[in-house]
Amino acid sequence: MNNDWDRAKADLQKGMKFVVPLIGLLFVVGLIRTSFYTVDPDEEAVIIRFGQYVGTSQPGLHFKLPLGIDDVILVKTKRVLQQEFGFRTRNTSGRRTTYDEKNFDIESLMLTGDLNVADVEWVVQYQIADPFKYLFQTSAPERNIHDVSESIMRRVVGDRLVTEVLTTGRVEIATEAKDLMQEILDKYDMGVKVVTVKLQDVNPPDVVKKSFNEVNAAKQEQEKVINQAEEAYNRVIPEARGKAEKLISEAEGYAKAQVNEAEGDAQKFSAILTEYRRAPSITRKRIYLETMESILKKVKDITVVDESVKGVLPVYSGKGAINGK
Amino acid sequence: MGNKSVLLLVLLFLVGIVLKSTFFEVNEGRQAIITQFGKPVGEPITDAGLHTKIPFIQEARFVDKRILSWDGYPNQIPTKDKKYIKVDTTARWKVVDALKFIQTVRNESGAKARLDAILDSATRDVISNHNLVEAVRNSNAIIQKIEEKKEEIQRMKAEGKPVIEEGVSGEIEKILVGRENLSGMIVKSAEPELTAFGIELIDVQLRRISYEKSVESKVYERMTSERQRIAQKIRSIGQGEKAKIEGRLERDLREIRSQAYKKAQILRGKGEAKAVKIYAQSLSADPNFYQFLKTMEVYKNSIQERTKFLMSSDGELFKFFKKIN
Repeated sequence: MNNDWDRAKADLQKGMKFVVPLIGLLFVVGLIRTSFYTVDPDEEAVIIRFGQYVGTSQPGLHFKLPLGIDDVILVKTKRVLQQEFGFRTRNTSGRRTTYDEKNFDIESLMLTGDLNVADVEWVVQYQIADPFKYLFQTSAPERNIHDVSESIMRRVVGDRLVTEVLTTGRVEIATEAKDLMQEILDKYDMGVKVVTVKLQDVNPPDVVKKSFNEVNAAKQEQEKVINQAEEAYNRVIPEARGKAEKLISEAEGYAKAQVNEAEGDAQKFSAILTEYRRAPSITRKRIYLETMESILKKVKDITVVDESVKGVLPVYSGKGAINGK
Repeated sequence: MGNKSVLLLVLLFLVGIVLKSTFFEVNEGRQAIITQFGKPVGEPITDAGLHTKIPFIQEARFVDKRILSWDGYPNQIPTKDKKYIKVDTTARWKVVDALKFIQTVRNESGAKARLDAILDSATRDVISNHNLVEAVRNSNAIIQKIEEKKEEIQRMKAEGKPVIEEGVSGEIEKILVGRENLSGMIVKSAEPELTAFGIELIDVQLRRISYEKSVESKVYERMTSERQRIAQKIRSIGQGEKAKIEGRLERDLREIRSQAYKKAQILRGKGEAKAVKIYAQSLSADPNFYQFLKTMEVYKNSIQERTKFLMSSDGELFKFFKKIN
């Protein structure tokens, strides 16, 4: 018994020769290992000593008090973080981003100022401006951002008409939501800077989507009908104008022709008259006979009737008599 | 030597226990209260860092110093105008009097139970005492906007431009309080009760306000019929515009055609008149001769081939048939 005790003591003493340096070595390694830390380029580090905040350090290699005296919390301050409302991105690593198929209508359906319902999806991008405040000012910073953004978006949309929300108001809504969000987050003093609020899909609720599309279709239809009418107008009127001009030109031509012909005829008559007056009788006869000649040449069947031949059939048959001349 | 080292180890161990019981860390975002046999001693410690207390006798209890979130259960509340809506609120609060807090609600989950009761009833009171629009809208800007739009439509109508009216059905109610002020009223009515627990209410946000399912379908029905009405209006405005253009077309066409006709007739008339004048002037020199000439011309031009011709021998042409001289 006593022997065993002695032996154990001897073993312990022998063992201590190895164990003590080993513990010492581990201690030194641990000391070195816990006395520096690195901060990545997109981070800042918050240093806590005995639970108390002592400072923030920038990217690079830094020393600290070892063995859990200094605690370092790394915060991604340079990174733009994003929260999504009404949808969730599931995977962005593939060629095409996939989205969660779950329905987040509860986040995105909201009342508009005219008490209609709009389905508004949006994202909030923010940065951690003050890592210490971000960590210690509120218990659930992300939850706060989410809640505030939902509340603000509803407030902004609630002050607008459904048509404005769905069409022209997008940019205005986003800007106003961003400013109001920042205002409230600043009130919490939680060290968050809202970078941007962006509206994504803004739609009428599914049930009424069809009727909203109908309005759009009606707008298209209206434009089409008006365009068609305008087109008809533009087709018909210039043509009519051309035709009108043609008609007028023709009339002008006609008038000119009338005048010219009259002048020609008149001058011709005057000329003939001058000569006629020199020998009226013979000229008259000549013209008469010439006319007769040209007529009778054309005529096939001519009958000359004599007054003195009464009750008898006409005698002379024109064919032989005249044509044969 | 062996006994001595054992004694040293025991002593070190005891010192360690005493130190551990004397010093305590207060982390950032936390505060501590020292109790002696369960009884609070002194002021709460709100500075982060290393602090001391009397070992074994005193105990440190920690309470959160940060802004905490409260998430309400969505409540169905009828508004003053008897519309059933679901109201989902969130709130932010913090412990301002740690002593009171520990004494009255012990811990966070105790506080949450109180907050549930107090905030739910405050929300219910405020919402059911106001019309729905007060919880949806924050200002009367929307009414002003509608007025402006109406004026613009009037102006465009006056200018004769086609206008697409996407009117609002029904009157937009004027609000007196507004969403933000309702939140404020909830805070105000809950605050006094919460002060007793050492809690400060920072804000209450109306996160979501949505129609009850049964109301929702009615709203969708209304939205659908409203859209259909608008679509119909847009279509008929299009048809009206079309008719206008068609009318303009008909009018312009008739005007162009008739004016052309008028101009042409005037031109022709003038031409003919001029011709008449010229003829009259020239022919009146010897009307008789003109008659003769023209008659001859008529004979020449009007008697065609194959015409059967019956002539009296009494005529000038055949007088030589009877007798020479």
